Amino acid sequence: MNFFDSMRTSASGLTAQRLRMNLVSSNLANTDTTRTEQGGPYQRKEPVFAATPIQSNFKEVLKAEISSKPSEVNVVEVINDERKPLLKFDPLHPDADPQGFVLKPNINVMEEMVNMLTASRSYEANVTAMSTSKNMVQKALEIGR
Amino acid sequence: MEPIRFDAKQLFTKIPTTAGNPLTGGVQENSFGSMLKRHLAEVNHLQNSADDAARNLATGQDKDIHNTMVAVEKAGIAFQLTMQVRNKVIEAYQEIMRMAV
Repeated sequence: MNFFDSMRTSASGLTAQRLRMNLVSSNLANTDTTRTEQGGPYQRKEPVFAATPIQSNFKEVLKAEISSKPSEVNVVEVINDERKPLLKFDPLHPDADPQGFVLKPNINVMEEMVNMLTASRSYEANVTAMSTSKNMVQKALEIGR
Repeated sequence: MEPIRFDAKQLFTKIPTTAGNPLTGGVQENSFGSMLKRHLAEVNHLQNSADDAARNLATGQDKDIHNTMVAVEKAGIAFQLTMQVRNKVIEAYQEIMRMAV
């Protein structure tokens, strides 16, 4: 059913933006984290989005390949930002090296705020798209009234 | 383009073969009744999955509120369509009952 396709697409967008928001919260919460399980300071995390055709069975996959059907978004992986950590002079810190420098995560709070707003607005856009397509169906049902 | 021809005789002779004969009980697969049954089952399935989604949210198995809302909306739309079909069927029935014989 076509209407459910568009709803599924919007729902996948919502899920993707929720995950992005979670990563932004994680980045913001760990701006000063100097210890991780892998060792070293916290590394900024970022999602990678990929468009995948809506598919629930073989016929639909084939159809999506030959025609341009809507595709949903999926988070295929979460990457670690490979920026160099910041060096801060703080000899009293327990994680300081012999020279007195501490490795801090290279997280720019402003950048995270922008990402957060983008995620929030994208989420809203997906909700609007979904409710608009719902309204279209309800209008179509009013034809018979 | 070929003009659409409306042949009343052909139309009426075709009815028994497609709709089956309800008096003898031979209802075929593509009759109106079975179609209705199939779609009602689909609507029921959507209602059940909306129910499951709400339960999963309440018990903490599903952390995303929007998935629950989407399931509930889907079920609602499907139910509205069912109600429209039902209204039309009732309307047609009443129309026939009002017919002067």
